[in-house]
Amino acid sequence: MSRKTERLVNLTIALLATKRFLTKSEIFRTIDGYEGAPESKERMFERDKDDLRKLGIEIEVGSFDPLFEDEAGYRIKSESYQFQLRGLSGMDITLLSLAAKAWRGAALDSAALSVLIKLQAMGVASDLESIPELAPALDDGDQNLSLLITSLSSRQAVSFFYRSENLGIDKRSIAPYAVVSKYGHWYLVGQDLDKFEVRSFRLDRMTTEIIKIGKSAAYEIPTDFKASDHLDAPSIKESALLYLRDDRALSIRNRGFATSDAVAPPGWQAFKISFSDEDRFLEEILWFGDDVVVLSPQSMRGKAIALLEAGVKRYG
Amino acid sequence: MAKSSTPVEKAARLLDLVPFISSHQGISLVDLAEQFKISQSELLSDLNTLWMCGLPGYTPLELIDLEFESGFVSIRNAEILQNVRTLSKEELVILAIGLDLISTALDEARPELEENLRSLQEKIRLLIGEIVTVEPTVNSSHRAVILQALESRRDLQIRYHSLIRDSISERQITPIEMSFDHGYEVVRAYCHSAKAFRSFRLDNVKAIDLCAPSFEVQPYSESDPYSIELRVTDRLRSVMERFRISFDQNRRASAENLIATSFSQDWLMRNALSTLASTEVLAPSEFRSAVARRCQIMLELYGDSSFAVVGE
Repeated sequence: MSRKTERLVNLTIALLATKRFLTKSEIFRTIDGYEGAPESKERMFERDKDDLRKLGIEIEVGSFDPLFEDEAGYRIKSESYQFQLRGLSGMDITLLSLAAKAWRGAALDSAALSVLIKLQAMGVASDLESIPELAPALDDGDQNLSLLITSLSSRQAVSFFYRSENLGIDKRSIAPYAVVSKYGHWYLVGQDLDKFEVRSFRLDRMTTEIIKIGKSAAYEIPTDFKASDHLDAPSIKESALLYLRDDRALSIRNRGFATSDAVAPPGWQAFKISFSDEDRFLEEILWFGDDVVVLSPQSMRGKAIALLEAGVKRYG
Repeated sequence: MAKSSTPVEKAARLLDLVPFISSHQGISLVDLAEQFKISQSELLSDLNTLWMCGLPGYTPLELIDLEFESGFVSIRNAEILQNVRTLSKEELVILAIGLDLISTALDEARPELEENLRSLQEKIRLLIGEIVTVEPTVNSSHRAVILQALESRRDLQIRYHSLIRDSISERQITPIEMSFDHGYEVVRAYCHSAKAFRSFRLDNVKAIDLCAPSFEVQPYSESDPYSIELRVTDRLRSVMERFRISFDQNRRASAENLIATSFSQDWLMRNALSTLASTEVLAPSEFRSAVARRCQIMLELYGDSSFAVVGE
């Protein structure tokens, strides 16, 4: 049986029960488990405070008596100790439980279990069976996802190796600001500590497990920070006029609209679709082979023809 | 038990045991261990530790009073720890992600719950800020139907958008299992339309319904995969990701002699056309000729006067 466990629980109880701040000497004198030389008691206490903080228990430091300002006192406010989401209905608890269940079998399973236990301990009747229509599940193939969530939660910088476009592998050091899943991939957005700007990284392009560097709460996330500013495609600049064969090129069709600006031949439809990068958009269009023809912009039509001519020449 | 807990994990569990037992007075040791996903001996060790904890003074008046010898657990004199503990930041992040995953399906499956969901998301966002957002690609009600079909061994009727065929079709499938393929969640199934085994990406399932109980699945003979050899001149990472060429086997990554493999030649062809600007197919020669033919067909469209804008 661990003395440490017992001491942590006793410390929590004592600091929760007290209305006024308890001084360190009172704590050492009255709480079970602080033993040994004054120095080792100090060290024990510092470590205990850190451990409780990691569990999300905030210890308030203050002066218990304005006349004796030199000695700090400690307590835990019950408002900061207790479950912070108030006024939850049975259905709310059910939805939250379902959200936690999405992590079943995933890397943060133990944290999800702790959430489920807390929800059930609320003593509000709830029933997961009442929402059989939903089965959320997390694509948790990436070990780094859980490591990043932990670092992000404790605001601790990370480093990892990252595969660049030319397949070079560079070391990156980042203060994580956000973790985002978009377009079917997980992204880390954060301050690059070497380049001094916000960058985004796709998790599946990290070639090593991430390593936490530095201390917790080492940086602040800017209050006006928005992950979407760094991930969304650059604002759309141009619009292309395309002919799409009837019932083909389905995945780009719903990104644009049919237009009567041009008269397509029978069996085809004219479409206007916006894009931001001509070369990338041309790649998308070529995927559809002879089911899409570019009419404008002229530069893109020219590129398409040049590529196809080069293809005939190269492979013919 | 996979691994024993650290003293800190154990302390966290003790703090959570108190409110849990308080709201489930008389719960059996078996059920309690099951809820906390620990062995009964670990639970007994937890309870024995908790029994020694209390307010300074540590006389029976101050200690937590636990009764569990009967096999059923009840607790008294633990008012101070009775509140359910606060959610840690990590736990809030977990919930935020989970709620995002639910959100896309809810308007279809249970619109009346949308307001509950929005208000929960808002409450959590106020606590952690916008540090996580998830745009799920898979509708979680579709997943629920597939799980139901697997459990009850029934067929599914799906409307499926095949990216390779560039078409949407109705198919009847007998689901076999769910898994992941190159980061995409798929259901492996016998497709009665194709009379063969196929993988269906969940993000391309447009609609899904349960059918009558399933009939027998035909034995399966798998065709051989097809490989092509590539040389990449530009945007190496993007091209390799596109052709799903693994990076490990190309550790000394060279742009030459990369091998792309697929069961679908059509898929390889579409990717080869897409990357005309940065990639050359080196072999096999019949695939090279096929690319040339496709390019020729496309060029003929561009040469056709009805495919040019008049008046330019």
